[in-house]
Amino acid sequence: MLKNYFKIALKVMMRKKFFSFISLFGISFTLMILMILTAFLNTELGNNAPMSKKDKMVFIDQLSLLYMRPDTTMVLDSTYVGEILEVDTSYTYDKEQTSRSSSSPSLHFLEKHMKDIKAADNYSFYSNGHSYDVFLNNNKLTLEGCYTDANFWEIFDFQFIEGNAFVKQQLDNQEPIAVITERAAIEYFGRARQVLGEEIELDRKIYKVSGLVKTPTSGQMFLDSDVYIPYTNMHPKALSETHFLSNFHAVYLGSSPSKTPLIKSEIEKTASFIKMPNPERYNELEIYALSFVEDYAHDIVDHDEVAQSKRIFAGTLIGLLALFFLLPILNLINVNISRIMERSSEIGVRKAFGADAKDILFQFVFENILLTIIGGMIGFLLAFVLLYLINSSQVLPDTILAFDYKVFLYSIAICLLFGVLSGLLPAYRMSKIHIVNALKQNIYG
Amino acid sequence: MIELENISKVYRTKTIETLALDNMNLSVSQGEFLSIMGPSGCGKSTLLNIMGLIDEPTQGRIEIAGQNILNYNGKKIAKFRNEKLGFIFQSFHLINDLSVIDNVELPLLYRRMGSKERRRLAEEALVQVGLKNRMKHFPGQLSGGQKQRVAIARAIVGQPEIILADEPTGNLDSVMGNEIMEILLRLNKESKTTIVMVTHDENMARKTNRLIRLFDGNQVH
Repeated sequence: MLKNYFKIALKVMMRKKFFSFISLFGISFTLMILMILTAFLNTELGNNAPMSKKDKMVFIDQLSLLYMRPDTTMVLDSTYVGEILEVDTSYTYDKEQTSRSSSSPSLHFLEKHMKDIKAADNYSFYSNGHSYDVFLNNNKLTLEGCYTDANFWEIFDFQFIEGNAFVKQQLDNQEPIAVITERAAIEYFGRARQVLGEEIELDRKIYKVSGLVKTPTSGQMFLDSDVYIPYTNMHPKALSETHFLSNFHAVYLGSSPSKTPLIKSEIEKTASFIKMPNPERYNELEIYALSFVEDYAHDIVDHDEVAQSKRIFAGTLIGLLALFFLLPILNLINVNISRIMERSSEIGVRKAFGADAKDILFQFVFENILLTIIGGMIGFLLAFVLLYLINSSQVLPDTILAFDYKVFLYSIAICLLFGVLSGLLPAYRMSKIHIVNALKQNIYG
Repeated sequence: MIELENISKVYRTKTIETLALDNMNLSVSQGEFLSIMGPSGCGKSTLLNIMGLIDEPTQGRIEIAGQNILNYNGKKIAKFRNEKLGFIFQSFHLINDLSVIDNVELPLLYRRMGSKERRRLAEEALVQVGLKNRMKHFPGQLSGGQKQRVAIARAIVGQPEIILADEPTGNLDSVMGNEIMEILLRLNKESKTTIVMVTHDENMARKTNRLIRLFDGNQVH
C-alpha cells in the first residue's frame, strides 16, 4: 500500500512541478534559514573557546554615577467642616536625578572595590580594545590591543599555538611581553608560526611576543583584540588615575551557571556600600552586573533597562523563529488544499473501491511527509553550502559557523510536524466528501 | 441478492425539492444481469448509486447479500463495498498518475494482502479483459475501449459478488461498446457475477436477463 502511495506521490509531484517547487522551496528554505540562524546563535551564545565557560560568567561593563537631590512634594487637602475650612498638609519625600555619567569602570574602581566577590571562583580585569596604528615597511596597519591581568588567561580559554600566557609574576614585574593572535602574526610578521621572541611595537613601546593564540571564531563582541599585554605596561598616568569611570571590564567566574545570580547580587550589594569620593558632584552609583546573555542582548538592543533589553532580544528571536515556521506552514496548507482538491475524482474512486476516511487521510498525510523529507534533504544541502560560503567568504568577520546536527534533526522533526499538520486539514475535509460528489469532481456538492 | 424496499430519494436545495426516486421496490437475484433504462434525470444513476452504497436513500431499506446495510458505519460500509461490490463508470475514472496494473490493484490495497498476491490477481484480471500486454502503460496512452477494459479489470479484481455499471458503453463507439458488453456477459455467465447496468442503449439492454424502465423515479413496465 505504501509503495502505491509512494508511486502516486512522486508522480503527482513530477506532474505538478510548480506546486511541488513551491512546497519544496518553502520547506528547504525554512530549514536552511533555521540552520543558519541556529548556527549563528550557537556560535555567538554557545560555549565556544575562548568563552567556553560563558554560562558561568558575570560581566561588569558599565557603571553610572548619579547626582540625586531630595525632592519634596507638598500636598494641601482642604475640606469644610461646618463653616470652618480645614486644611491637611502632607509631604512626599522622593529623590530626583539631576545628573548622570555612564561609562566602563576604571581599573582603580575595580581593584579597590570589586576584587572581593566571594561567590565567584575567579575574576579578571581587562581593558577595552584600543586601535593602534602601526607603520610597517611604509604600510599602515591597525592592531587592536588590550590590557589584561594574568587571571584573564584562566577565565578565557584561548587556544595557544606557541608559547604561553603571562603569569602574575610577569604582570607584577611589568614585563614588556605580548600574547598575539594568529591574525596579528600574519599581518605583522607575514607568517602564522614561529613568532615567539619577535618584537612588536605598539604606541612607541616594544613588546616581546610570548604567546601565539588562535584567532577566536566566536565571541568577537567581547574579545576582539589582536594583542594582549599585561596591564602593568599601561601608561603610569593611566595606572594612577583614581576616577571611577574609564575603560576597563571585569569578568567573574562562578563554579556553576547557578552561581551567576549570587555573583550579580553580591556585586550590587558591594556597590551599594561604596562611599562616593566627591558626593557634591555624584552621590550615587549604579552598577550593571550582567550574565553573558544579558550583556549580549544589552549590547545589541541597547535599551536603558537591561531586563527590557533581554526581553526585546528574546522576543525578537522567538518572533523571527515563529515567522520562519509560520510562513512555510501557511504556504504548505494553501498548496495542499489545491493539490488535494484537484484529486477529488481519485478520492471518489478510492472510496468507491473500499477506502475509508482514515485511508484517505493517511494517504495524503503520507504524501506530505514524503514532500517534507525531500524538502528537508534539499534544505540540508542548501544550509551546508551556505554555511560553507559564509565561512569562506568571511561575511561575518572571524566567525566560523558550525553545522549543528541536533538542530537539524529538531528542524526536520518540526517540519514533519508541519507536513502532517498542513496536510491534515485539507485531507480531513476531502476524506469526508461524498463519493458521488467526488466522482462528479464537484466537491462543493 | 439485492433487495430494495420503499426506497425514496429526495434532493433538497434551499428553494427546491426534487424527488429522484419514489418508493422504489426492486429485487435482483444472484447471478442476474439486470439493465435499467430510462430518460435522463429519471433516477437511474441514483438508484445504482444507492445499490452501490455510494449514496444514501432518504428513506427505505436495502439488503445486499442478506445484510441490512443502512445500519453500518462508514468503515464497515467501506469494507463491504470493497469485498462485495465492483464499479464501472461511464467516464472510466482511472487514476491517470498510476499505471494500468496499479489502477487494477487499487481495490486490493484496502485488503490485508501481500503485494505479490495483489500483483498476481491484478494480472489475472487484466488477462480476462485481454490487456495483459498494456500492464505498464498509463491510462493516457490507452483508447477509450481499453480504458473501460482496465476499469472492468479493476471492478473484478477483488472478485465481488455484484458489479454495478453506470453506462459502461456510453462513451464508446459501437464496436468498442460491443466488446465491453461481451466481457460483461461473459463475466455474468462464467463467474455468476450479479450485474446491474444502467444504459441508454436498447440493443445492449436486450442482451441482459432483465430490463426495467424508470420514469420520474418510478418503475414502469
